Amino acid sequence: MGAGLKRHWKGLMLFLAVAGPGIITSNVDNDAGGIATYSIAGSHFGFRLLWSLIPIMLALVLVQEMSARMGVVTGKGLSDLIRERFGVKVTVYVLLGVFLTNFGNVIAEFAGVASSLEIFHIPKYVSVPVSAVLVWLLVVKGTYRSVEKVFLYACLFYVTYIVSGFLAKPDWAAIGQSVVRPEFDFSSGGLAMVIGLVGTTIAPWMQFYLQASVVEKNISVKDYKSSRLDVIIGSVGVTVVAGFIILTCAATLFKAGVRIETAADAALALKPLAGKYCSALFAFGLLNASLFAASILPLSTAFLICEGMGWENGVNKKFSEAPQFYGLYSLLIFLGAAIILLPGIPLFSVMYISQVINGVVLPAILIFMLLLINNKKLMGEHVNGKAYNLVTVFTIVVLCLLTGAYLYTLIA
Amino acid sequence: MTQDETQKMFLFLSGLLGLAVRDSQGRKVGRLADLKVGLTEIFPKVLTIAVRRRGKRGLLALPWDQVESLTGAGVALRPGAPLQFTPLEVGSQEILLQEDLLDKQVVDTFGAKIERVNDVHLLIVNHDLRTVHLDFGARGILRRLGWLKGFDRIVAWLFDYRSEEKLVSWKYIQPLVSDPKRDLKLNVTARKLAELHPSDIADIIEDLDRASRSSVFKMLDLETAADTLQEVDPKLQLALIETTPEEKVSDILEEMEPDEATDMLSELPEEKARKLIRTMEKPYRQSVEALLKFEEGTAGSIMTTDFLALHRESTIEAAIEEFRKSTHPLETVSYLYITDTERRPIGVITLRHLLLCDRQEILGRLMNPHLISASTEDDLGTVAELFTKYKFIEIPVVDKAGVLQGIITLQDIVKAKPEEL
Repeated sequence: MGAGLKRHWKGLMLFLAVAGPGIITSNVDNDAGGIATYSIAGSHFGFRLLWSLIPIMLALVLVQEMSARMGVVTGKGLSDLIRERFGVKVTVYVLLGVFLTNFGNVIAEFAGVASSLEIFHIPKYVSVPVSAVLVWLLVVKGTYRSVEKVFLYACLFYVTYIVSGFLAKPDWAAIGQSVVRPEFDFSSGGLAMVIGLVGTTIAPWMQFYLQASVVEKNISVKDYKSSRLDVIIGSVGVTVVAGFIILTCAATLFKAGVRIETAADAALALKPLAGKYCSALFAFGLLNASLFAASILPLSTAFLICEGMGWENGVNKKFSEAPQFYGLYSLLIFLGAAIILLPGIPLFSVMYISQVINGVVLPAILIFMLLLINNKKLMGEHVNGKAYNLVTVFTIVVLCLLTGAYLYTLIA
Repeated sequence: MTQDETQKMFLFLSGLLGLAVRDSQGRKVGRLADLKVGLTEIFPKVLTIAVRRRGKRGLLALPWDQVESLTGAGVALRPGAPLQFTPLEVGSQEILLQEDLLDKQVVDTFGAKIERVNDVHLLIVNHDLRTVHLDFGARGILRRLGWLKGFDRIVAWLFDYRSEEKLVSWKYIQPLVSDPKRDLKLNVTARKLAELHPSDIADIIEDLDRASRSSVFKMLDLETAADTLQEVDPKLQLALIETTPEEKVSDILEEMEPDEATDMLSELPEEKARKLIRTMEKPYRQSVEALLKFEEGTAGSIMTTDFLALHRESTIEAAIEEFRKSTHPLETVSYLYITDTERRPIGVITLRHLLLCDRQEILGRLMNPHLISASTEDDLGTVAELFTKYKFIEIPVVDKAGVLQGIITLQDIVKAKPEEL
């Protein structure tokens, strides 16, 4: 009895030591853009699209598990592996694409910070510069451990969405119905929305970030099971939060027939329908998510570019030791924040271009991952099993098709 | 290859890969896919060219002496003997420039850091093709992207400037091969690593991925390995120890001072530590076992059992003799302790005495009898206070009976964990 308890305790400690990368990566997924997409999905389609979160979650687990496994087995980051296997040419273009789409996302995060704090009557000319400096200091002055801790606490604040979900008093029976017996909506609007949900949940940068932080944490093959659990918990958590955002908006905005375009719209529209607390929590959640992603995205981007190009990197290095790393990191944050402050910037077309590039880069990266994870020389006995590979290939083909379709709707 | 025009010519590997390989009649037989070099020379010579032939899986090898000429325009083969392709095989002292070097990480021992290889700079001299430099610079990347000419033109037009190549001589390069099946026995080149300071090697090891890490660690000689192991992050120490055969680990530990080895052993899982101690040589094992008995955070646990102690009746001459005989490199030679017949310390003399005093002088009369000592049971905070108060660089440690057991140096205290002080 005592021994059993001790073993469980030991297992828990081990998990806590390894946990972090998966949970953080997934949660950043619910960033400003994500929350906007979920809010729109809820307010335009009600509970009808809730079911789609389940296959999306499974695909997320599948893709992230591969990233974590590659990190654990090879001890190398994804851009490192792409460079070593596919050469410098491919790497530079992929990294350029990732840089541009991430830059677009960073701008979106600062837009999220600005609009969420405007709900609390703080002008963007205060909120954006202050948050940019805070985010920048966190990494420049921090170590990997301290940064990870701050990020993990940021994950806790996503609970605000669950609370606001309960405050919205949704019809739980209808929700159960829509998940258990999904209504497939194959209208072009519904399909585009599902594709949007997939696109916002599975993004190229995540695979880089997850693998890099698994490597930076120096997780060994024998602790891999804990790492996988970390990924699964993260993916389930992110789905629950996304689900609550959808149902909050569905129970209130959809019922009242309110159309929204952004997450801040949703927070504002919630006020008369679900009370000021629900609205404030929703806005606070958006602020937290935007800040969180605004610190991780530039970090991850700087990391993966330096790694692929062979420049020194890592939050444990000093500025003088890794100038390109900190240079890129600072550029992304300050340029991203500055663009929000410029009057008359066509934010919509910036987002549009970033989404298009994202649509091109994601399939490329998924295919590279598939090739790498099946490379015996690299992964040894840890390559995908036959059945697992079949599922993965299927998922990735579907993801690529959906992304292609999305790209088509964007351009057409 | 006409001797006069290609006596000496620099080439970049990126410019050669993919070139057409033609036989003496000018018929294309395949494309150049890789070059295999031998590592035994200072500037490795190309031994074999690897060719990709249409419709054939895998690379085929042709010996270098079948090559008539190799230029930026293509590879021409020698007339005469029929072409004999063999499957490409790589020996233990050989590497492939494309497969093992290009885009991979190597250690630059000149800059003491890890770099990624952007290109390989080759030189043809007297019909030998040799690896002379590696390119770590941005120009290498631009060249491979095909942007270099445009870039140069723009920069020249804007600033009237040409950026420099960042080439590092092969003399300073330690290649890393992380494929465990081809664990290179790079005896020749591992010497390059040993020239680095152990703390630099430790930094490099910390930056490497897991597989390269242990392959670099395995290349080090015992002494360098011991010094390096003490410099790396404690979490990595365990990882390195676990991937190295036990025999070798205990040999490495024996290179350390017993107190340092004990420190390291106490961080390891108990079973692993016990196994390692069992494989150690007897005298060393005894001193480690003695040290392990002391509780962590006490003076006994961090003290060194290597010290010089002489009886009060001994002469300076005997002391010098003792000093010469001490085979183990002593952690510190600042003081010699003088003991009574029960080996209780009663005074101290310094190196200055050994150098300046008459050889026949009796130590007991020269010694400074004001001796401050710590007890094996003292906690490290108390010991640290002694150091701050008296400004010694080492303090003797005695057991309950007052018998001299070891010494603690200032360095030992500095290295102690802050939370134990």
